[in-house]
Amino acid sequence: MSSGDGLAAARAAVAAIQDLESGPEALNAFLAVADVDELTLLNADGPLAGVPLAVKDNIATLDLDTTCGSKVLEGYRSPFEATVVRRAREAGAVVVGKTNMDEFAMGSSTENSAYGPVLNPHDRTRVPGGSSGGSAAAVAAGLVTMAFGSDTGGSVRQPAALCGVVGMKPTYGRVSRYGLVAYASSLDQVGTFGRSVADSARLMDVIAGHDDRDATSARRLVPDLEAAAGRGVEGLVVGLPKEYVSRLLDDDMRASINTAVDALRDAGAQIHEVSLPHAKHAIPCYYVIAPAEAASNLSRYDGVRYGVRRPGDDLVSMYEATRSAGLGPEVKLRIMLGTYVLSAGYYDEYYGTAQRARRLITEDFGRVFAAGVDVILTPTTPGPAFELGERTDDPLEMYLSDVFTVPANIAGIPGISVPIGRVRGLPVGAQILAPWWQEERMVAGAGALEAAFGVGGA
Amino acid sequence: MSVDKDHAATIASLARLRFDDDELTKITAELNQVLSHVETLKGLEVDDIPHDEDPLEGEGDATRGEAADTPDALRRDLDELAPDALDGFFVVPPLPGMHAEEAD
Repeated sequence: MSSGDGLAAARAAVAAIQDLESGPEALNAFLAVADVDELTLLNADGPLAGVPLAVKDNIATLDLDTTCGSKVLEGYRSPFEATVVRRAREAGAVVVGKTNMDEFAMGSSTENSAYGPVLNPHDRTRVPGGSSGGSAAAVAAGLVTMAFGSDTGGSVRQPAALCGVVGMKPTYGRVSRYGLVAYASSLDQVGTFGRSVADSARLMDVIAGHDDRDATSARRLVPDLEAAAGRGVEGLVVGLPKEYVSRLLDDDMRASINTAVDALRDAGAQIHEVSLPHAKHAIPCYYVIAPAEAASNLSRYDGVRYGVRRPGDDLVSMYEATRSAGLGPEVKLRIMLGTYVLSAGYYDEYYGTAQRARRLITEDFGRVFAAGVDVILTPTTPGPAFELGERTDDPLEMYLSDVFTVPANIAGIPGISVPIGRVRGLPVGAQILAPWWQEERMVAGAGALEAAFGVGGA
Repeated sequence: MSVDKDHAATIASLARLRFDDDELTKITAELNQVLSHVETLKGLEVDDIPHDEDPLEGEGDATRGEAADTPDALRRDLDELAPDALDGFFVVPPLPGMHAEEAD
Protein backbone atom coordinates (compact mmCIF):
# COMPACT_ATOMS: atom_id res chain seq x y z
CA MET A 1 0.00 0.00 0.00
CA SER A 2 1.47 3.29 -1.06
CA SER A 3 -0.38 5.31 1.56
CA GLY A 4 -0.57 4.81 5.27
CA ASP A 5 -4.35 4.72 5.31
CA GLY A 6 -4.89 2.72 2.13
CA LEU A 7 -6.97 5.42 0.47
CA ALA A 8 -4.33 6.82 -1.87
CA ALA A 9 -5.63 5.07 -4.98
CA ALA A 10 -9.22 6.12 -4.27
CA ARG A 11 -8.19 9.74 -3.64
CA ALA A 12 -6.26 9.73 -6.90
CA ALA A 13 -9.30 8.28 -8.67
CA VAL A 14 -11.61 11.00 -7.32
CA ALA A 15 -9.12 13.67 -8.40
CA ALA A 16 -8.79 12.10 -11.86
CA ILE A 17 -12.56 11.91 -12.29
CA GLN A 18 -13.03 15.54 -11.24
CA ASP A 19 -10.19 16.64 -13.46
CA LEU A 20 -11.39 14.81 -16.58
CA GLU A 21 -15.10 15.50 -16.13
CA SER A 22 -14.63 19.24 -15.64
CA GLY A 23 -12.43 19.65 -18.72
CA PRO A 24 -12.87 19.67 -22.49
CA GLU A 25 -12.45 15.90 -22.73
CA ALA A 26 -15.31 15.16 -20.30
CA LEU A 27 -17.04 11.81 -20.81
CA ASN A 28 -20.13 12.47 -18.61
CA ALA A 29 -19.49 9.02 -17.16
CA PHE A 30 -20.36 9.97 -13.57
CA LEU A 31 -23.62 11.21 -12.04
CA ALA A 32 -22.11 11.53 -8.56
CA VAL A 33 -18.55 11.56 -7.25
CA ALA A 34 -17.68 10.79 -3.65
CA ASP A 35 -16.36 13.57 -1.41
CA VAL A 36 -12.66 12.90 -1.06
CA ASP A 37 -12.86 13.52 2.70
CA GLU A 38 -15.60 10.95 3.14
CA LEU A 39 -13.96 8.02 1.37
CA THR A 40 -14.05 4.98 3.61
CA LEU A 41 -11.93 1.86 3.69
CA LEU A 42 -13.64 -0.87 5.67
CA ASN A 43 -10.99 -3.55 5.18
CA ALA A 44 -7.31 -2.81 4.63
CA ASP A 45 -6.48 -6.50 4.18
CA GLY A 46 -9.32 -7.70 1.94
CA PRO A 47 -8.99 -8.92 -1.63
CA LEU A 48 -10.08 -5.48 -2.93
CA ALA A 49 -8.20 -3.40 -0.34
CA GLY A 50 -8.06 0.21 -1.50
CA VAL A 51 -9.41 -0.54 -5.01
CA PRO A 52 -11.34 2.43 -6.48
CA LEU A 53 -14.77 1.14 -7.48
CA ALA A 54 -17.47 2.83 -9.58
CA VAL A 55 -21.08 1.78 -9.12
CA LYS A 56 -23.81 2.00 -11.75
CA ASP A 57 -26.49 4.41 -10.63
CA ASN A 58 -29.23 1.78 -10.41
CA ILE A 59 -27.42 0.05 -7.54
CA ALA A 60 -28.29 1.44 -4.12
CA THR A 61 -25.63 3.20 -2.06
CA LEU A 62 -26.05 4.87 1.32
CA ASP A 63 -23.67 7.76 0.79
CA LEU A 64 -24.50 8.78 -2.81
CA ASP A 65 -27.80 9.34 -4.65
CA THR A 66 -29.33 6.54 -6.73
CA THR A 67 -31.16 8.10 -9.68
CA CYS A 68 -31.11 5.30 -12.29
CA GLY A 69 -30.36 8.05 -14.83
CA SER A 70 -33.94 9.28 -14.40
CA LYS A 71 -35.47 12.62 -13.50
CA VAL A 72 -38.14 10.80 -11.53
CA LEU A 73 -35.49 9.76 -8.98
CA GLU A 74 -33.53 13.02 -8.98
CA GLY A 75 -32.04 13.48 -5.53
CA TYR A 76 -33.19 10.08 -4.30
CA ARG A 77 -31.06 8.66 -1.49
CA SER A 78 -31.61 4.99 -0.67
CA PRO A 79 -32.12 4.11 3.01
CA PHE A 80 -30.24 0.84 2.49
CA GLU A 81 -27.27 -0.42 0.50
CA ALA A 82 -27.17 -3.12 -2.18
CA THR A 83 -25.65 -6.43 -1.11
CA VAL A 84 -23.05 -6.24 -3.89
CA VAL A 85 -21.90 -2.82 -2.67
CA ARG A 86 -21.77 -3.98 0.93
CA ARG A 87 -19.75 -7.08 -0.01
CA ALA A 88 -17.33 -5.04 -2.14
CA ARG A 89 -16.82 -2.56 0.70
CA GLU A 90 -16.29 -5.38 3.18
CA ALA A 91 -13.61 -6.74 0.83
CA GLY A 92 -11.86 -3.35 0.94
CA ALA A 93 -13.18 -1.61 -2.19
CA VAL A 94 -13.68 2.15 -1.98
CA VAL A 95 -16.73 3.52 -3.79
CA VAL A 96 -15.62 6.65 -5.65
CA GLY A 97 -18.74 7.45 -7.66
CA LYS A 98 -22.00 6.51 -9.32
CA THR A 99 -21.98 6.06 -13.09
CA ASN A 100 -24.26 7.40 -15.78
CA MET A 101 -26.60 4.99 -17.55
CA ASP A 102 -29.59 4.68 -19.84
CA GLU A 103 -32.65 5.58 -17.79
CA PHE A 104 -33.65 2.53 -15.71
CA ALA A 105 -31.14 0.51 -17.77
CA MET A 106 -33.32 0.75 -20.88
CA GLY A 107 -30.99 1.34 -23.79
CA SER A 108 -27.91 0.24 -25.67
CA SER A 109 -25.98 3.51 -26.02
CA THR A 110 -26.39 5.46 -22.74
CA GLU A 111 -28.11 8.16 -24.83
CA ASN A 112 -31.34 7.57 -22.89
CA SER A 113 -29.93 9.06 -19.69
CA ALA A 114 -31.88 12.06 -18.42
CA TYR A 115 -28.50 13.56 -17.57
CA GLY A 116 -27.02 13.50 -21.08
CA PRO A 117 -25.13 10.81 -23.01
CA VAL A 118 -21.80 9.26 -22.05
CA LEU A 119 -19.05 9.56 -24.66
CA ASN A 120 -16.80 6.71 -25.72
CA PRO A 121 -13.26 7.40 -24.46
CA HIS A 122 -11.80 5.89 -27.66
CA ASP A 123 -13.76 8.32 -29.88
CA ARG A 124 -15.86 11.03 -28.30
CA THR A 125 -18.18 11.24 -31.31
CA ARG A 126 -19.34 7.69 -30.57
CA VAL A 127 -21.45 5.95 -27.94
CA PRO A 128 -19.89 3.80 -25.21
CA GLY A 129 -22.69 1.23 -25.55
CA GLY A 130 -25.21 0.71 -22.83
CA SER A 131 -26.95 0.64 -20.61
CA SER A 132 -23.92 0.54 -18.26
CA GLY A 133 -22.03 2.99 -20.52
CA GLY A 134 -20.74 5.14 -17.67
CA SER A 135 -19.14 2.18 -15.90
CA ALA A 136 -17.54 0.85 -19.09
CA ALA A 137 -16.21 4.31 -20.06
CA ALA A 138 -14.87 4.93 -16.54
CA VAL A 139 -12.85 1.70 -16.61
CA ALA A 140 -11.71 2.24 -20.23
CA ALA A 141 -10.50 5.77 -19.42
CA GLY A 142 -8.49 4.44 -16.49
CA LEU A 143 -10.51 6.44 -13.95
CA VAL A 144 -11.34 3.38 -11.83
CA THR A 145 -9.96 -0.14 -11.61
CA MET A 146 -13.30 -1.92 -11.45
CA ALA A 147 -16.97 -1.09 -11.79
CA PHE A 148 -20.40 -2.56 -11.29
CA GLY A 149 -22.99 -2.66 -14.03
CA SER A 150 -26.27 -4.45 -14.49
CA ASP A 151 -27.03 -6.77 -17.38
CA THR A 152 -30.65 -7.40 -18.39
CA GLY A 153 -30.08 -7.93 -22.13
CA GLY A 154 -26.36 -7.29 -22.53
CA SER A 155 -25.93 -4.03 -20.62
CA VAL A 156 -22.55 -5.07 -19.20
CA ARG A 157 -21.12 -7.14 -22.06
CA GLN A 158 -22.11 -4.79 -24.91
CA PRO A 159 -20.56 -1.58 -23.47
CA ALA A 160 -17.51 -3.59 -22.36
CA ALA A 161 -16.99 -4.62 -25.99
CA LEU A 162 -17.49 -1.10 -27.37
CA CYS A 163 -15.13 0.43 -24.80
CA GLY A 164 -12.40 -2.24 -24.97
CA VAL A 165 -12.72 -3.59 -21.43
CA VAL A 166 -13.84 -6.87 -19.85
CA GLY A 167 -17.47 -7.24 -18.73
CA MET A 168 -19.05 -10.28 -17.13
CA LYS A 169 -22.65 -11.34 -16.47
CA PRO A 170 -22.96 -14.30 -14.11
CA THR A 171 -25.57 -17.06 -14.14
CA TYR A 172 -29.01 -15.78 -13.10
CA GLY A 173 -29.05 -16.31 -9.33
CA ARG A 174 -25.28 -16.24 -8.82
CA VAL A 175 -25.34 -12.69 -7.44
CA SER A 176 -27.84 -10.99 -5.15
CA ARG A 177 -30.16 -8.44 -6.74
CA TYR A 178 -30.94 -6.87 -3.35
CA GLY A 179 -30.52 -3.14 -3.87
CA LEU A 180 -30.41 -3.39 -7.67
CA VAL A 181 -33.33 -1.27 -8.86
CA ALA A 182 -35.59 -3.67 -10.74
CA TYR A 183 -36.08 -3.36 -14.50
CA ALA A 184 -36.97 -6.92 -15.60
CA SER A 185 -36.59 -9.14 -12.56
CA SER A 186 -36.34 -12.49 -14.35
CA LEU A 187 -33.47 -11.18 -16.52
CA ASP A 188 -31.56 -8.69 -14.33
CA GLN A 189 -28.13 -9.59 -12.91
CA VAL A 190 -25.35 -7.43 -11.53
CA GLY A 191 -22.18 -7.72 -13.62
CA THR A 192 -18.57 -6.62 -13.21
CA PHE A 193 -16.20 -4.56 -15.33
CA GLY A 194 -12.41 -4.63 -15.20
CA ARG A 195 -9.48 -3.68 -17.39
CA SER A 196 -8.42 -7.32 -17.28
CA VAL A 197 -10.20 -10.66 -17.00
CA ALA A 198 -8.61 -11.17 -13.57
CA ASP A 199 -9.91 -7.81 -12.27
CA SER A 200 -13.44 -8.48 -13.48
CA ALA A 201 -13.24 -11.99 -11.97
CA ARG A 202 -11.90 -10.81 -8.63
CA LEU A 203 -14.81 -8.42 -8.17
CA MET A 204 -17.25 -11.18 -9.17
CA ASP A 205 -15.66 -13.57 -6.65
CA VAL A 206 -16.32 -11.06 -3.89
CA ILE A 207 -20.01 -10.47 -4.67
CA ALA A 208 -21.11 -13.99 -5.73
CA GLY A 209 -23.09 -16.25 -3.45
CA HIS A 210 -26.41 -16.61 -1.69
CA ASP A 211 -28.01 -13.67 0.07
CA ASP A 212 -30.94 -14.09 2.45
CA ARG A 213 -32.33 -10.81 1.12
CA ASP A 214 -32.77 -12.13 -2.44
CA ALA A 215 -34.82 -15.32 -2.72
CA THR A 216 -33.60 -15.82 -6.32
CA SER A 217 -29.95 -15.93 -5.26
CA ALA A 218 -28.71 -19.50 -5.29
CA ARG A 219 -27.27 -21.59 -2.49
CA ARG A 220 -24.31 -22.74 -4.50
CA LEU A 221 -20.61 -22.96 -3.88
CA VAL A 222 -18.84 -19.94 -5.32
CA PRO A 223 -16.01 -20.78 -7.73
CA ASP A 224 -12.60 -19.08 -7.74
CA LEU A 225 -12.94 -17.19 -11.01
CA GLU A 226 -9.74 -15.20 -10.64
CA ALA A 227 -7.78 -18.44 -10.54
CA ALA A 228 -9.74 -19.73 -13.55
CA ALA A 229 -8.56 -16.74 -15.61
CA GLY A 230 -5.10 -18.31 -15.92
CA ARG A 231 -6.20 -21.90 -16.32
CA GLY A 232 -5.88 -22.12 -20.11
CA VAL A 233 -8.14 -23.82 -22.64
CA GLU A 234 -6.33 -27.07 -23.44
CA GLY A 235 -9.02 -29.53 -24.50
CA LEU A 236 -11.87 -27.03 -24.01
CA VAL A 237 -14.65 -27.68 -26.53
CA VAL A 238 -15.75 -24.36 -28.03
CA GLY A 239 -19.01 -24.14 -29.97
CA LEU A 240 -19.37 -21.59 -32.76
CA PRO A 241 -23.06 -20.97 -33.53
CA LYS A 242 -23.48 -20.80 -37.29
CA GLU A 243 -26.55 -18.58 -36.92
CA TYR A 244 -24.58 -15.91 -35.05
CA VAL A 245 -21.66 -15.64 -37.40
CA SER A 246 -23.67 -15.55 -40.58
CA ARG A 247 -26.08 -12.85 -39.51
CA LEU A 248 -25.60 -9.12 -39.14
CA LEU A 249 -21.82 -9.27 -39.32
CA ASP A 250 -19.88 -7.21 -41.81
CA ASP A 251 -16.65 -8.57 -43.28
CA ASP A 252 -14.38 -6.75 -40.81
CA MET A 253 -16.30 -8.10 -37.84
CA ARG A 254 -16.28 -11.61 -39.28
CA ALA A 255 -12.51 -11.40 -39.80
CA SER A 256 -12.12 -10.21 -36.22
CA ILE A 257 -14.10 -13.08 -34.70
CA ASN A 258 -12.12 -15.50 -36.87
CA THR A 259 -8.90 -14.26 -35.26
CA ALA A 260 -10.44 -15.11 -31.86
CA VAL A 261 -11.34 -18.59 -33.09
CA ASP A 262 -7.77 -19.08 -34.31
CA ALA A 263 -6.36 -17.84 -30.99
CA LEU A 264 -8.43 -20.32 -29.00
CA ARG A 265 -7.50 -23.16 -31.37
CA ASP A 266 -3.81 -22.25 -31.07
CA ALA A 267 -4.16 -22.34 -27.28
CA GLY A 268 -5.43 -25.91 -27.41
CA ALA A 269 -9.21 -25.59 -27.67
CA GLN A 270 -11.31 -27.68 -30.04
CA ILE A 271 -13.66 -25.68 -32.25
CA HIS A 272 -17.00 -27.12 -33.36
CA GLU A 273 -19.83 -25.53 -35.28
CA VAL A 274 -23.10 -25.66 -33.34
CA SER A 275 -26.65 -24.60 -34.03
CA LEU A 276 -28.94 -22.42 -31.91
CA PRO A 277 -31.96 -22.34 -34.24
CA HIS A 278 -34.21 -20.29 -31.96
CA ALA A 279 -31.66 -17.61 -31.06
CA LYS A 280 -33.09 -15.39 -33.80
CA HIS A 281 -36.26 -15.10 -31.73
CA ALA A 282 -34.41 -13.73 -28.71
CA ILE A 283 -34.88 -10.02 -29.53
CA PRO A 284 -38.67 -10.19 -30.14
CA CYS A 285 -38.99 -12.46 -27.10
CA TYR A 286 -37.01 -10.00 -24.98
CA TYR A 287 -39.07 -7.02 -26.14
CA VAL A 288 -42.21 -8.68 -24.83
CA ILE A 289 -40.92 -10.10 -21.54
CA ALA A 290 -38.69 -7.22 -20.43
CA PRO A 291 -41.28 -4.46 -21.04
CA ALA A 292 -43.98 -6.59 -19.38
CA GLU A 293 -41.88 -6.91 -16.25
CA ALA A 294 -40.82 -3.26 -16.49
CA ALA A 295 -44.41 -2.01 -16.74
CA SER A 296 -45.07 -3.71 -13.43
CA ASN A 297 -41.77 -2.84 -11.73
CA LEU A 298 -41.91 0.84 -12.71
CA SER A 299 -45.49 1.36 -11.55
CA ARG A 300 -43.98 2.34 -8.20
CA TYR A 301 -42.71 5.64 -9.63
CA ASP A 302 -45.95 7.51 -9.12
CA GLY A 303 -44.90 10.47 -7.02
CA VAL A 304 -46.01 8.91 -3.76
CA ARG A 305 -42.91 7.30 -2.32
CA TYR A 306 -39.90 8.19 -4.44
CA GLY A 307 -38.29 11.21 -6.03
CA VAL A 308 -40.19 14.02 -7.66
CA ARG A 309 -43.94 14.71 -7.52
CA ARG A 310 -45.97 16.88 -9.90
CA PRO A 311 -49.29 18.18 -8.56
CA GLY A 312 -52.61 17.12 -10.07
CA ASP A 313 -56.30 17.76 -9.46
CA ASP A 314 -56.80 14.30 -8.01
CA LEU A 315 -54.74 11.22 -7.25
CA VAL A 316 -54.77 9.76 -10.77
CA SER A 317 -53.89 13.06 -12.41
CA MET A 318 -51.03 13.44 -9.91
CA TYR A 319 -49.76 9.98 -10.92
CA GLU A 320 -50.02 10.84 -14.60
CA ALA A 321 -48.42 14.27 -14.25
CA THR A 322 -45.53 12.86 -12.20
CA ARG A 323 -44.85 9.93 -14.50
CA SER A 324 -45.22 11.96 -17.69
CA ALA A 325 -42.79 14.62 -16.46
CA GLY A 326 -40.37 12.30 -14.68
CA LEU A 327 -39.92 9.45 -17.16
CA GLY A 328 -38.11 9.68 -20.50
CA PRO A 329 -39.36 8.62 -23.96
CA GLU A 330 -37.75 5.15 -24.10
CA VAL A 331 -39.00 4.25 -20.62
CA LYS A 332 -42.50 5.38 -21.59
CA LEU A 333 -42.35 3.32 -24.80
CA ARG A 334 -41.39 0.19 -22.88
CA ILE A 335 -44.06 0.78 -20.23
CA MET A 336 -46.61 1.19 -23.04
CA LEU A 337 -45.38 -2.00 -24.72
CA GLY A 338 -45.50 -3.94 -21.46
CA THR A 339 -48.95 -2.65 -20.56
CA TYR A 340 -50.20 -3.59 -24.03
CA VAL A 341 -48.81 -7.14 -24.09
CA LEU A 342 -50.24 -7.84 -20.63
CA SER A 343 -53.67 -6.36 -21.33
CA ALA A 344 -56.79 -8.49 -21.60
CA GLY A 345 -57.13 -10.05 -25.03
CA TYR A 346 -53.43 -9.73 -25.89
CA TYR A 347 -51.79 -11.53 -22.99
CA ASP A 348 -51.59 -15.00 -24.51
CA GLU A 349 -50.94 -13.72 -28.01
CA TYR A 350 -47.84 -11.83 -26.93
CA TYR A 351 -46.72 -12.65 -23.40
CA GLY A 352 -47.70 -16.33 -23.54
CA THR A 353 -46.00 -16.79 -26.91
CA ALA A 354 -42.86 -15.03 -25.69
CA GLN A 355 -42.66 -17.26 -22.62
CA ARG A 356 -42.89 -20.31 -24.86
CA ALA A 357 -40.20 -18.88 -27.13
CA ARG A 358 -38.08 -18.36 -24.03
CA ARG A 359 -38.35 -22.06 -23.33
CA LEU A 360 -37.20 -22.95 -26.87
CA ILE A 361 -34.24 -20.54 -26.73
CA THR A 362 -33.20 -21.99 -23.37
CA GLU A 363 -33.53 -25.55 -24.62
CA ASP A 364 -31.24 -24.75 -27.57
CA PHE A 365 -28.44 -23.90 -25.14
CA GLY A 366 -29.18 -26.95 -22.99
CA ARG A 367 -28.97 -29.21 -26.03
CA VAL A 368 -25.65 -27.79 -27.21
CA PHE A 369 -24.05 -28.00 -23.76
CA ALA A 370 -25.42 -31.51 -23.16
CA ALA A 371 -23.78 -32.61 -26.41
CA GLY A 372 -20.38 -31.91 -24.88
CA VAL A 373 -19.74 -28.30 -25.82
CA ASP A 374 -18.03 -26.52 -22.90
CA VAL A 375 -18.49 -22.90 -23.98
CA ILE A 376 -19.96 -20.98 -26.90
CA LEU A 377 -18.03 -18.22 -28.70
CA THR A 378 -19.79 -15.33 -30.46
CA PRO A 379 -19.07 -11.72 -31.32
CA THR A 380 -20.34 -9.51 -28.48
CA THR A 381 -21.81 -6.96 -30.91
CA PRO A 382 -22.52 -6.81 -34.64
CA GLY A 383 -19.93 -4.04 -35.04
CA PRO A 384 -17.87 -1.41 -33.19
CA ALA A 385 -19.28 1.66 -31.42
CA PHE A 386 -21.73 3.65 -33.53
CA GLU A 387 -21.98 7.44 -33.68
CA LEU A 388 -23.95 9.47 -31.18
CA GLY A 389 -27.45 10.02 -32.54
CA GLU A 390 -27.05 7.41 -35.27
CA ARG A 391 -29.78 5.11 -33.92
CA THR A 392 -31.83 7.29 -31.59
CA ASP A 393 -34.70 7.72 -34.06
CA ASP A 394 -35.10 4.02 -34.72
CA PRO A 395 -35.85 1.95 -31.61
CA LEU A 396 -35.69 -1.34 -33.49
CA GLU A 397 -32.25 -0.68 -34.93
CA MET A 398 -31.04 0.23 -31.44
CA TYR A 399 -32.53 -2.99 -30.03
CA LEU A 400 -30.60 -5.04 -32.58
CA SER A 401 -27.32 -3.80 -31.03
CA ASP A 402 -27.94 -6.48 -28.40
CA VAL A 403 -28.74 -9.34 -30.76
CA PHE A 404 -25.81 -11.47 -29.57
CA THR A 405 -26.09 -10.72 -25.86
CA VAL A 406 -29.84 -11.03 -25.20
CA PRO A 407 -30.08 -14.85 -25.57
CA ALA A 408 -27.93 -15.39 -22.45
CA ASN A 409 -30.35 -13.34 -20.34
CA ILE A 410 -33.34 -15.16 -21.81
CA ALA A 411 -31.75 -18.51 -20.83
CA GLY A 412 -30.12 -17.30 -17.59
CA ILE A 413 -26.64 -18.52 -18.59
CA PRO A 414 -23.43 -16.59 -17.84
CA GLY A 415 -21.44 -14.63 -20.41
CA ILE A 416 -18.28 -12.54 -20.61
CA SER A 417 -17.01 -10.07 -23.18
CA VAL A 418 -13.28 -9.71 -23.70
CA PRO A 419 -11.46 -7.33 -26.10
CA ILE A 420 -10.10 -8.95 -29.28
CA GLY A 421 -8.51 -5.99 -31.02
CA ARG A 422 -9.99 -3.33 -33.23
CA VAL A 423 -12.29 -2.97 -36.20
CA ARG A 424 -11.93 0.29 -38.17
CA GLY A 425 -9.82 1.63 -35.31
CA LEU A 426 -12.38 0.93 -32.58
CA PRO A 427 -12.40 -1.82 -29.94
CA VAL A 428 -14.57 -4.92 -30.38
CA GLY A 429 -15.13 -7.90 -28.16
CA ALA A 430 -15.71 -11.62 -28.26
CA GLN A 431 -18.39 -13.10 -26.04
CA ILE A 432 -17.98 -16.45 -24.34
CA LEU A 433 -21.12 -18.13 -22.97
CA ALA A 434 -21.02 -21.02 -20.52
CA PRO A 435 -23.59 -23.44 -19.11
CA TRP A 436 -25.49 -22.52 -15.95
CA TRP A 437 -23.11 -22.22 -12.94
CA GLN A 438 -19.99 -22.91 -15.08
CA GLU A 439 -18.52 -19.38 -15.09
CA GLU A 440 -15.03 -20.82 -14.60
CA ARG A 441 -15.01 -22.18 -18.16
CA MET A 442 -15.91 -18.87 -19.76
CA VAL A 443 -13.36 -17.02 -17.62
CA ALA A 444 -10.68 -19.53 -18.66
CA GLY A 445 -11.62 -18.91 -22.30
CA ALA A 446 -11.56 -15.15 -21.80
CA GLY A 447 -8.16 -15.45 -20.12
CA ALA A 448 -6.82 -17.30 -23.15
CA LEU A 449 -8.12 -14.61 -25.52
CA GLU A 450 -6.61 -11.91 -23.31
CA ALA A 451 -3.28 -13.73 -23.40
CA ALA A 452 -3.46 -13.75 -27.20
CA PHE A 453 -4.70 -10.19 -27.80
CA GLY A 454 -3.28 -8.39 -24.76
CA VAL A 455 -5.16 -6.56 -21.99
CA GLY A 456 -7.60 -4.19 -23.67
CA GLY A 457 -7.12 -6.03 -26.97
CA ALA A 458 -4.33 -3.63 -27.81
CA MET B 1 -52.07 -6.53 -35.19
CA SER B 2 -51.66 -2.80 -35.24
CA VAL B 3 -52.53 -0.28 -32.58
CA ASP B 4 -54.39 2.93 -33.47
CA LYS B 5 -54.18 6.20 -31.55
CA ASP B 6 -57.36 5.57 -29.60
CA HIS B 7 -56.10 2.21 -28.44
CA ALA B 8 -52.74 3.76 -27.55
CA ALA B 9 -54.57 6.37 -25.48
CA THR B 10 -56.34 3.58 -23.59
CA ILE B 11 -53.03 1.83 -22.92
CA ALA B 12 -51.54 5.13 -21.75
CA SER B 13 -54.41 5.53 -19.31
CA LEU B 14 -53.81 2.02 -17.95
CA ALA B 15 -50.10 2.83 -17.61
CA ARG B 16 -50.83 6.16 -15.86
CA LEU B 17 -49.08 8.09 -18.61
CA ARG B 18 -50.30 11.20 -20.39
CA PHE B 19 -49.34 12.24 -23.93
CA ASP B 20 -50.27 15.23 -26.02
CA ASP B 21 -51.49 14.58 -29.56
CA ASP B 22 -48.06 14.76 -31.21
CA GLU B 23 -46.50 12.51 -28.60
CA LEU B 24 -49.35 10.04 -29.00
CA THR B 25 -48.85 9.93 -32.77
CA LYS B 26 -45.14 9.27 -32.32
CA ILE B 27 -45.47 6.60 -29.63
CA THR B 28 -48.23 4.84 -31.57
CA ALA B 29 -45.90 4.55 -34.56
CA GLU B 30 -43.06 3.27 -32.38
CA LEU B 31 -45.34 0.77 -30.65
CA ASN B 32 -46.43 -0.59 -34.02
CA GLN B 33 -42.84 -0.80 -35.24
CA VAL B 34 -41.77 -2.89 -32.25
CA LEU B 35 -44.95 -4.99 -32.29
CA SER B 36 -44.47 -5.82 -35.96
CA HIS B 37 -41.02 -7.18 -35.08
CA VAL B 38 -42.52 -9.14 -32.17
CA GLU B 39 -45.05 -10.65 -34.60
CA THR B 40 -42.21 -12.80 -36.01
CA LEU B 41 -42.66 -14.97 -32.92
CA LYS B 42 -45.96 -16.12 -34.34
CA GLY B 43 -44.17 -18.40 -36.80
CA LEU B 44 -42.92 -20.51 -33.90
CA GLU B 45 -44.55 -23.84 -33.23
CA VAL B 46 -45.21 -23.28 -29.57
CA ASP B 47 -48.71 -24.65 -29.05
CA ASP B 48 -47.58 -27.67 -27.06
CA ILE B 49 -45.22 -25.70 -24.84
CA PRO B 50 -46.69 -24.60 -21.54
CA HIS B 51 -46.16 -20.89 -20.98
CA ASP B 52 -46.97 -20.72 -17.29
CA GLU B 53 -44.05 -22.82 -16.12
CA ASP B 54 -41.18 -21.13 -14.41
CA PRO B 55 -38.91 -20.34 -17.37
CA LEU B 56 -35.89 -20.72 -15.11
CA GLU B 57 -36.83 -24.18 -13.95
CA GLY B 58 -34.64 -27.11 -14.85
CA GLU B 59 -30.99 -26.67 -15.70
CA GLY B 60 -30.98 -22.99 -15.07
CA ASP B 61 -32.90 -23.19 -11.82
CA ALA B 62 -31.56 -20.64 -9.42
CA THR B 63 -33.41 -21.46 -6.28
CA ARG B 64 -34.54 -25.03 -6.16
CA GLY B 65 -31.38 -26.95 -7.06
CA GLU B 66 -29.25 -27.83 -4.10
CA ALA B 67 -31.49 -25.98 -1.71
CA ALA B 68 -34.21 -28.55 -2.45
CA ASP B 69 -32.16 -31.14 -0.59
CA THR B 70 -33.08 -29.42 2.66
CA PRO B 71 -36.76 -29.75 3.56
CA ASP B 72 -38.58 -26.46 3.97
CA ALA B 73 -39.24 -26.01 7.67
CA LEU B 74 -42.68 -24.62 6.89
CA ARG B 75 -43.70 -27.49 4.65
CA ARG B 76 -46.50 -29.70 6.04
CA ASP B 77 -47.56 -33.06 4.74
CA LEU B 78 -50.93 -32.74 3.00
CA ASP B 79 -52.25 -35.73 4.97
CA GLU B 80 -51.51 -33.87 8.16
CA LEU B 81 -53.63 -30.91 7.11
CA ALA B 82 -56.53 -32.95 5.67
CA PRO B 83 -56.47 -36.47 7.07
CA ASP B 84 -59.92 -37.50 5.84
CA ALA B 85 -62.63 -36.65 3.36
CA LEU B 86 -66.43 -36.94 3.60
CA ASP B 87 -69.06 -36.10 1.00
CA GLY B 88 -66.55 -34.25 -1.14
CA PHE B 89 -65.27 -32.09 1.74
CA PHE B 90 -62.09 -32.35 3.77
CA VAL B 91 -62.65 -33.49 7.35
CA VAL B 92 -60.22 -31.49 9.44
CA PRO B 93 -59.22 -32.12 13.03
CA PRO B 94 -61.42 -30.17 15.48
CA LEU B 95 -59.99 -27.01 16.93
CA PRO B 96 -58.83 -27.28 20.54
CA GLY B 97 -61.77 -26.96 22.90
CA MET B 98 -64.31 -27.76 20.19
CA HIS B 99 -66.05 -31.12 20.30
CA ALA B 100 -66.32 -32.99 17.04
CA GLU B 101 -70.05 -33.57 17.67
CA GLU B 102 -70.71 -29.86 18.07
CA ALA B 103 -68.86 -29.09 14.90
CA ASP B 104 -71.39 -31.13 12.94
